[in-house]
Amino acid sequence: MEKLAYKDTRNFAPIDVTKGMDLISKQVVMADAQAPEGTEIMPKCKFCKNFKETDSFMGICQASMNEPKFIAYPDMVAITCGMYEAM
Amino acid sequence: MAKTLKAVLDDAGIPMDFQAGGLAPEGLMDREIKREPHPRVQKLKDIFMDTLSSASNEFPYWYTREYMLHDNDVPVVRRAKALKSAFSHATPVIIPGELLVMRKAPYFRGSFPMPWLSEGFYMAKEDEFYQEALKRGSASVDEHSKFGQGGGNVPHSFGKVVSIAGKFGMRQEEIPALLKLARLWYGKSVDDLGNRYEKMVPGYGTKEKIMRNIVCMFDSGFTLPQGREVINYYYPLEYGFDGIIKIAREMKDKVAGRADGDGMVGMNRLYNYEAVIYAVEGIQNWVLNYAKEAKRLESIETDAKQKKEYRQMAKRLEWIAHNPPRTFIEAFQMIETVHIGVLNEDAISGMSPGRIGQVLYPYFEQDIQAGRTTEDEVLELLELDRVVKTSIDCFASIGVVGGVLSGNTFNTVSIGGVDREGKSAANRLEYLILEAGATNAMPQSTLSLLYNEKLPEDFLMLAMEVIKTGSGYPAFMSDGVAQEFLKNQYGHEGMNVEDARAWAIGGCLETSACTWKPLHLNGKEYWIPGGAGQPTSVGVHFISMPKILELTLYNGVDQKTGEMVFAPHNKALDTYEELWEQYKAYWQEAVAILALTNNVQHDIWRKNNMAVFNSMLKPDCLDKGHLINELGYRYNATFNVESAGTITLVNSLAALKKLVYDDKFVSLDGMKEALTENFGFKTAQEINSFSLADQEKKEEGADKWDKLHFKTLQAPKYGNDDSYADNILLEWENFFCPDCRNYESLHGHPMYACQISVSTHGAMGSATIASPDGRLAGTTFADASMSAYPGTDRNGPFALMNSAAIWDHSMSQNSQLNIKIHPSAIKGTEGAKKLLDMIRAYMRKGGFHVQFNIVDSKVLKDAQAHPENYRDLMVRVAGFTQYWVEIGKSVQDELIARTEYEGV
Repeated sequence: MEKLAYKDTRNFAPIDVTKGMDLISKQVVMADAQAPEGTEIMPKCKFCKNFKETDSFMGICQASMNEPKFIAYPDMVAITCGMYEAM
Repeated sequence: MAKTLKAVLDDAGIPMDFQAGGLAPEGLMDREIKREPHPRVQKLKDIFMDTLSSASNEFPYWYTREYMLHDNDVPVVRRAKALKSAFSHATPVIIPGELLVMRKAPYFRGSFPMPWLSEGFYMAKEDEFYQEALKRGSASVDEHSKFGQGGGNVPHSFGKVVSIAGKFGMRQEEIPALLKLARLWYGKSVDDLGNRYEKMVPGYGTKEKIMRNIVCMFDSGFTLPQGREVINYYYPLEYGFDGIIKIAREMKDKVAGRADGDGMVGMNRLYNYEAVIYAVEGIQNWVLNYAKEAKRLESIETDAKQKKEYRQMAKRLEWIAHNPPRTFIEAFQMIETVHIGVLNEDAISGMSPGRIGQVLYPYFEQDIQAGRTTEDEVLELLELDRVVKTSIDCFASIGVVGGVLSGNTFNTVSIGGVDREGKSAANRLEYLILEAGATNAMPQSTLSLLYNEKLPEDFLMLAMEVIKTGSGYPAFMSDGVAQEFLKNQYGHEGMNVEDARAWAIGGCLETSACTWKPLHLNGKEYWIPGGAGQPTSVGVHFISMPKILELTLYNGVDQKTGEMVFAPHNKALDTYEELWEQYKAYWQEAVAILALTNNVQHDIWRKNNMAVFNSMLKPDCLDKGHLINELGYRYNATFNVESAGTITLVNSLAALKKLVYDDKFVSLDGMKEALTENFGFKTAQEINSFSLADQEKKEEGADKWDKLHFKTLQAPKYGNDDSYADNILLEWENFFCPDCRNYESLHGHPMYACQISVSTHGAMGSATIASPDGRLAGTTFADASMSAYPGTDRNGPFALMNSAAIWDHSMSQNSQLNIKIHPSAIKGTEGAKKLLDMIRAYMRKGGFHVQFNIVDSKVLKDAQAHPENYRDLMVRVAGFTQYWVEIGKSVQDELIARTEYEGV
């Protein structure tokens, strides 16, 4: 299993652009630090079947209703997106 | 070593660290009163103290994606659908220990761009958008604005974080999306579209020159189009969100297809109610997403106490997503939700909660009586609210957020005042609000005490205790002066004594129109106050009075840039009267063109970017079916003309009158030459500092101007109860306040005067050459509108107050007086009484506002040298409190240099 950064995990509550809280340990951790193995993945565009990468840090959402399909970016959190489909 | 301004001032007998009324004790002296918050609050506060301002694309992404999908819909419905989508997709983030939740963005101190308003300012400087913004003058002030380098500001990029506008950090992974989203709004934003049409105003070229040369600080219609107003929480509290949707649906049935005698906008009511439903549904989804997250956290939590708190939080959120609140904590969560919801609808500073001590009192009273809560629990919630409010950032340009706001967003709470019947309104909850201001001293919510003689003595003495914590609040505002202003300004819209009594401060110091509504709780009726007026501090933003004087003296040419801003007057200015008349003519020319162009910007805003959620909260939008853009608010005459640098102008005119025209000590040309030569000092650019203390004399030939500089510094100065200078202030006010009524807002109402400087005295001073009062090029103007220039008020605080009260303050929306006092001067109960007596004396003289920095100047100097030791030091700047480390150095220097009163 691929190792995840904290910012890509479900139990990471972001505090700011550099850090957040590990909601299990209640410790402040760096966003880019490696999370413990087995941590639940955070739904994000980059983990969604509907995301198609087009450029560095850019892509499109193939599930969007817009024509042409609307942009998307890989790091956007998708826990509130009804179109999210885990890969 | 070149001689510094400090040494020159010492020689002139006007030391920068002037102490009036005695000498400060040696050594650093801390504030007399220090209190601690509840442990839970302290933990969250500690997190805040180590948190960076962070920006996210999430909200603009979903807004833009939905907006672009509905290009054939009615504008108000299209916007509401976009808002619904954005709210519905906002990621909920809950930090353990929190009791009050909902955030602007998925960060503790989060914010986001709104490219539909303006997008050029955050593009790369080489980008065509930014270059276009510079040409228009809308980005010029950014070059003169400085943020503090510490605290939560992100002044530089580092690691994977990109600094935006010198303040906000954004993850580098989000930058391509930020730019892509911005480009989607190019030519469509209020900024771009407004500019296309404002160019059609005759004289637009002058407007561009005014903005480029920072005669005016910033545009109004696309920067912070809402705010400086009092929010209204009544409808969600009385009806709940389901109830509001029910009202809107019933009203749709009543108005569909009917003009009801209004052929212009009567039909629009159908679309407006439809929009209200979409917007409220978005808010409901947002709340329910937080409830879902609280439930999820409950499921993974192992600590029993925290688990229970998550469960209760989820239940509270699920309830208020649909229903009116039943308890104090539900009501508090409801108003917190509404508040943050409104702030996410538009770029807003100064959305003030208003008199929450009155609004929440019904729940407080009944919960306490029933034993459902305790005063200690209420105090803890009030402390938590201060963490939430201090965490609110507003994403705007560096010129706006740094140069004007100093990073503050002015969520001001008002206390005191009178009730609907004119009796003292102070209640037990307001005592606790004051206490929370001391136990959890943070910049927001800053507190405004609406001073009335009927307020209880122990309430006022408690306020003195809070002031002694050094928080800078509560500020005191005269209830009587404000009511007089409101009746004058809004009388033609029906403002009566009763509604005038409901007023509160919007923003930092803006007297705002409010009204009373009947709230029902368990069969009991309470009349609660809330906002009923449009945004204030909109219209003509800060005009630099010293810059207008510079243009008057130099025949319309800006001496910093060499650009001709106004057509030459070609007058010799042989008499003081001729100078004064020409000054007024240039002033009026600036106001006239700015009023017209900003009217166009606001008109574009109201056509495509109108408030829906904030609108429907305000009486009487929900009743009438008209939102802000169709004047659904009860009070709409809110546009204003803002001045900046009042006392620097007054002192400059006094010096010119004395030295050039009365005593003929120097010719006008001689004075102008001295100003151009900066009295023999290097330019601020040369020494790369715009701070007072840092200014240095030139190495050679610098003595030529010493005598004249000395005389300018010794010329009559405002703040000493000296009629020579004070009468100039009186003459200015008697011209300025009535003159504002000559300009009409887009809503067809006369404008009024607004006299706060916020932080503009720093940025505008930076763009202005030396002034005839002896102030050097590039340095700050005097703070606020009634504060003395640092070190020039030498006859004690009562003399300063006499100077300030020479004119009728009810002619203006506000005035602003800041006084710095050494902690030892007001020590103990006797000291507190003296301070209160001094405030009373000013209010009785007719002063509108006064506030205090209770601080030892030596502490400020030490904090400047060792900022790492002073993360939580707060100071009062203009009308707000801010962390020392988050304000720019020039404003820090001005604060240090202010006269320190050692006795009152």
